[in-house]
Amino acid sequence: MAAPLPAFVAQHRADWDALEALLARQRNGTLSLQELRTLDTLYRRAASDLAHAQTFYAGTDAHRFLNQLCARAYGAIYQPPRERWASLRAFFRRDFPRTLRRELRYVGASGALFILGLLLGALVVLWEPRGAELLVPSGVRQYVAQGRMWTDDILSVAPPDTVSSGIATNNLTVTILTFALGLFYGLGTVFVLVNNGVQIGAITALCAREGMVGGLLDFIAAHGPVELSIIVIAGGAGLMVGQALVDPGELPRGQALAQRGREAVKLVLGCAPFLACIGMVEGYVSPGDLFPTWAKAALGLSLGGLFWAYLLRAGRAEADATEVPAASAS
Amino acid sequence: MSTASTPHLAVATPERVALSLPVAGIGYRCLAWLVDATLLFFFWVVAYFVFTLLVSDVLGVFQGLSGLGQTLLVVGVFATQWLYWTLAEVFFHGQTLGKRALSIRVVRMDGSPVGLFESAVRNLCRAVDFLPGLYAAGCISMLMTPQHRRLGDLLAGTVLVRDERIDLDKYTAAAPGDAGSGAGAAAAGRALSPDEVELVLAFLTRAPGLQPEARRRMGTRLVEKLGRLADEEKARVLASSEATESYLRACVRAER
Repeated sequence: MAAPLPAFVAQHRADWDALEALLARQRNGTLSLQELRTLDTLYRRAASDLAHAQTFYAGTDAHRFLNQLCARAYGAIYQPPRERWASLRAFFRRDFPRTLRRELRYVGASGALFILGLLLGALVVLWEPRGAELLVPSGVRQYVAQGRMWTDDILSVAPPDTVSSGIATNNLTVTILTFALGLFYGLGTVFVLVNNGVQIGAITALCAREGMVGGLLDFIAAHGPVELSIIVIAGGAGLMVGQALVDPGELPRGQALAQRGREAVKLVLGCAPFLACIGMVEGYVSPGDLFPTWAKAALGLSLGGLFWAYLLRAGRAEADATEVPAASAS
Repeated sequence: MSTASTPHLAVATPERVALSLPVAGIGYRCLAWLVDATLLFFFWVVAYFVFTLLVSDVLGVFQGLSGLGQTLLVVGVFATQWLYWTLAEVFFHGQTLGKRALSIRVVRMDGSPVGLFESAVRNLCRAVDFLPGLYAAGCISMLMTPQHRRLGDLLAGTVLVRDERIDLDKYTAAAPGDAGSGAGAAAAGRALSPDEVELVLAFLTRAPGLQPEARRRMGTRLVEKLGRLADEEKARVLASSEATESYLRACVRAER
């Protein structure tokens, strides 16, 4: 026979208050080992009180109070491991490149979509020059009509580091959108990839018709390889998300989404520091005549080569070493 | 009063106890966002004035620094869009300042606190939830999912839960000044069910704020619902609302 509700509350109130006080102090991180043990004991007691309340006092305020108290203690006791510098280093040394190699199919598909857009845009403009009116932004068209590079003017109005950080945030926005629009069943990502490809292709073709392709390549050469790679990788992450939605397999859609989302976001977060670095290059090196074209091209190619060498090689030896015993054990 | 009908997050702990946490609805989330957005807005107003002071550079000291300042400014825009939310959620137990003001918090679907990855995902998706403006995509998603999650929450596997403030004092504290009156006879009779205790306590808490007539009517109905008294004693208890309430209070206190 259960005790009446006020008696139940009066009997256990002291324990609950003690647990609440400990939890408040645990949040500040000032508990001794002894107090942690007490916390554990009190949590278990509160959990059994909760079970009791669920049976005999369901739906009362006392029940809801215990629910919340146990949830707070549960959160405090079963915390996820803290991310520290060591795990950050491990992420860039092994986790990120390994995830990328595992999901290389999606990155490949994303690259194929981008190149498809590139070819489409270029072919349309080369075949029918008036197509440029549709595909190339009007601001850029005006510059090209005057025979000037629009990129020259970026530098003359603002100091280089403003350009650099402006470009960096712009790239970040494009990258985040490319990834996150995958939530619309991958269609958003496909659109962004093809759309960017078409624009870049159309602009290149327009410049080629006007005999300005040298100037364009001069601007793109230093940062293009890495920057486009990063957007393609973010596109791959977006496609992963879309795939989880379209074909969740045996899991419910929500769970499949959360599971694939964790993997996909690794790709995006891994790219972030490289994106920041390439924004610097784009701001300082690419515009203007400070560096000769061959130097820009050499820098761009070597940066792109290094980036992909890192992505495809890093952590591979360790991976082999750790995978062999795992395979023999199973 | 039942938690079963409102949306909630069910969690099974290793202690084999089922927790069920109330989920924060769209109203709570909008208000919390408004608080955060207002804070960031004022941050930017202050930052803007400091920045223009540096650039206009009355003393000429900061001439060389203004370029750096501009870089910081543009990076800062990004930081407020994304870093503020993520870092606050990771380091302040799933709460930004706005969420703390509304006492709601982000947790994983299993009730544990969010980590860096989950927080990063749900905040990266703010860009999509904002489409095509004013969080339209996020709001539609919140209205359509049973636990009011926006797209970023779906992708990260997180949900917002509410911290309720529940006062347990009402079970134990006696009202001042009626320690003796009317308590003696009330103790007899059958035990009250938890629901009845809740009902009586809720009435007693709210009684001082009620209209006299409503206060009297509800007190009478409660006394009749408990149904313990003979006729002449009931007439005495129902004579004034003070007598009714002290009788009800005595009934509840007798349960201890």
